[in-house]
Amino acid sequence: MKSRAWWRQRVNFVIFLGPAILLTVFFFVVPVLIDIAVSFTDLGRSLRVTRFTTEHYERVFGGDRRLTDVMALTFIYVLGTLALFNVTFGLVLALITTSIDKVSGGFFRGVWLLPRMSPSVLYILLWVWVVNPSQYGLLNQILMTVFGLEQPLDLLTTAPIALIIISNGFIGASMGMIIFTSAIRGIPEHLFHAARVDGAGSLAIVWYITLPALRWPISFITIYQALSLLVSFEYILLLTKGGPFYDTTVYALYIYRRAFQSGQYGYGAALSLFLIVIGIAVALLGWRFFDMKRLLQNPRIEVQ
Amino acid sequence: MTIFKTGTTALVTAALLGGAATGILTAAPALAQETVQLEIWSRQDVSGPLRAGNVVKAADMLNAALEEEGSDVRVEVVVRESPAQGFDDDALALLRAFGIGEGPDMFIAAHEWICAFQQDGFALKLDDYIEKYPEHFGTIFPSLWDSTRCPDGIYGIPQDAEARMFFYNKKLLREAGFDEDFITAMPERTLAGDLTMDEVIDIAKQVVDNTDAEYGILHRPNVGPDFSMVFGAYGNDFVDPETGNLLINREDLTAAFGWFERAVNEGVIPANNTSMDWDAIRADFYANENSAFWKYGIWDLGSYAFPTFGLPDDEEGFFADWGWIAVPAAEKGGQPSTLTHPIIYGVAADTEHPDLVVRLLGYASDAELNTDHAVTTTHIGIRPEQLEDPRYQEAWPLARATQLLEIAKYLPNEPQFADLNRILYTAIQGVESGRLTAEDAAEFVIDEAEGNLDNVIIE
Repeated sequence: MKSRAWWRQRVNFVIFLGPAILLTVFFFVVPVLIDIAVSFTDLGRSLRVTRFTTEHYERVFGGDRRLTDVMALTFIYVLGTLALFNVTFGLVLALITTSIDKVSGGFFRGVWLLPRMSPSVLYILLWVWVVNPSQYGLLNQILMTVFGLEQPLDLLTTAPIALIIISNGFIGASMGMIIFTSAIRGIPEHLFHAARVDGAGSLAIVWYITLPALRWPISFITIYQALSLLVSFEYILLLTKGGPFYDTTVYALYIYRRAFQSGQYGYGAALSLFLIVIGIAVALLGWRFFDMKRLLQNPRIEVQ
Repeated sequence: MTIFKTGTTALVTAALLGGAATGILTAAPALAQETVQLEIWSRQDVSGPLRAGNVVKAADMLNAALEEEGSDVRVEVVVRESPAQGFDDDALALLRAFGIGEGPDMFIAAHEWICAFQQDGFALKLDDYIEKYPEHFGTIFPSLWDSTRCPDGIYGIPQDAEARMFFYNKKLLREAGFDEDFITAMPERTLAGDLTMDEVIDIAKQVVDNTDAEYGILHRPNVGPDFSMVFGAYGNDFVDPETGNLLINREDLTAAFGWFERAVNEGVIPANNTSMDWDAIRADFYANENSAFWKYGIWDLGSYAFPTFGLPDDEEGFFADWGWIAVPAAEKGGQPSTLTHPIIYGVAADTEHPDLVVRLLGYASDAELNTDHAVTTTHIGIRPEQLEDPRYQEAWPLARATQLLEIAKYLPNEPQFADLNRILYTAIQGVESGRLTAEDAAEFVIDEAEGNLDNVIIE
């Protein structure tokens, strides 16, 4: 006969961990297993499997000449969006909105949250209108009427990569902004006062007090957003469709184009599996590089 | 107590029996007449709402015929509309629906997809049915059946045809300095093989150089069949006549991409044509006098030019300021062409009522109903008797476009052609936006075709 405590422990396990385990299994583990299985089949546009094959992996590792360019572009896109917006601009927004009065700071943070709160299709439709290459696009209307530009700009053709970085960055910056703001708010205020008394200027305060305190949030945002940028493609698909040509086809969109536009589901699954591997590698590298282990270890001093 | 119980039971039993008997009596006629639901898959498409609409109407005709025959079966048509943007996306969605066993009884598709359905065993072979019902299919233009043919037989019923061309704006050509004789002779010169593809670029360039028009030639901004006309002009038929497999000739392909490259370099086709809006393109050609040529198809007149942009819909009024030419030959003395891209009805291989479906589609292909579709959307009919219909005769664009059918080509009915077409479009985008040279584009197409398609012959 098991003891009451033994049963309670089991029941608690099921109640508290059960739902999370089920969700993880059904929505993370099972899809990966299905993906692995599909990647070894010839599943094509009519969703039928006629044979098992490894040829998709042969294509991933050498047969697909487009893949190198796609990966290089993905690297530029992820690094560019992270460096310019998700981390740097998010940090700038957090620093500025915490150094002005609370109401204005809250207002500006609210404004920068709008892109994240709007439905993605609506957000991108606005972008499509802004960068419309004719004289009717918002940007061109401003440039032509206010600044006297003669010919409308066509950023979709001339600067598509910059465009996808900016449109994604405007959304991505808000996540960093929120996390960094709360971290800045968590810094004990007396440190700032003490620094002021010691004669430190604003930049010195940011450099010697704020930034060191943001080390972990910055590390976390960098890894988290890198992974999220690696797999996101919906804004790019809606704005440039991955073009012109393959100019803005990042890896995740490339999978979509192969699997859903050409009906090569088997190859798409192999490409996806490779993306999962890339994602894990990026996460582990980030973990190592930022020494995330230290963040998660138990505190050495227990404050009672 | 027992008596009461027995009595109650008897009453209840009698009531039940009586009820059942009444039920049987009232249900008798309903049981005798069986209503069969037939589902048709159709893409939401303003350029052809009657493709499905005529099938719905045909149900009444078939039901009347069934009643006359003394049959107890009646049909009811259910339309399953797909929101796909084009026929390619629609066909892919339908293949998936069939693949998971959720396919309809019949479907509407672009003809070049039919062998993809046939290859996967989703389409019913129709030769025997066509022979069985000459009253429905006997007078359909024999040449149209070629568009529904796969290697072992016929798998679709032609629903319409059309012609594609370069429309041109005569006002802009006059303004650019071309005289009236030159302008009116263009269609004839094209048909005679005298006007060439390069001359189209030259004419367009003069318009761009000498008028306020920004563009010389505009084409559709997404993947579609009309680009194959340009490839065709340069000898790309994309099918090996001996094996029926896809065929790519590097030299011919480079020559065709060269035409796009020259057009962009001369400032005639805008480098961003593939990222422009449909609406903006049409407005630029029909309303804003901003382009000399618009490469598209005859149905655009009925669908947009007349109703939306107010172009004169009488023949004389239209040809006073507008015109069209077939797709010219690549070199003088060569063969001009047009593309006709029939839409077809297909029957699902696993439908439980193949005979009823085929008869239903037979009635939907009736001359009267098909003429409704033809005259309201400027598509060409499928039977000679439609030509006698006064409504058809009044729709002058149809008669004029029918003249082009003599030089019409089809897209290849090869199951993978749609995939190749998408690759070709991506390459055109690469050339026009300056990412690829004509040679690079041909190399790209060959590379993609070899990597993604089966049994492609490269020359």
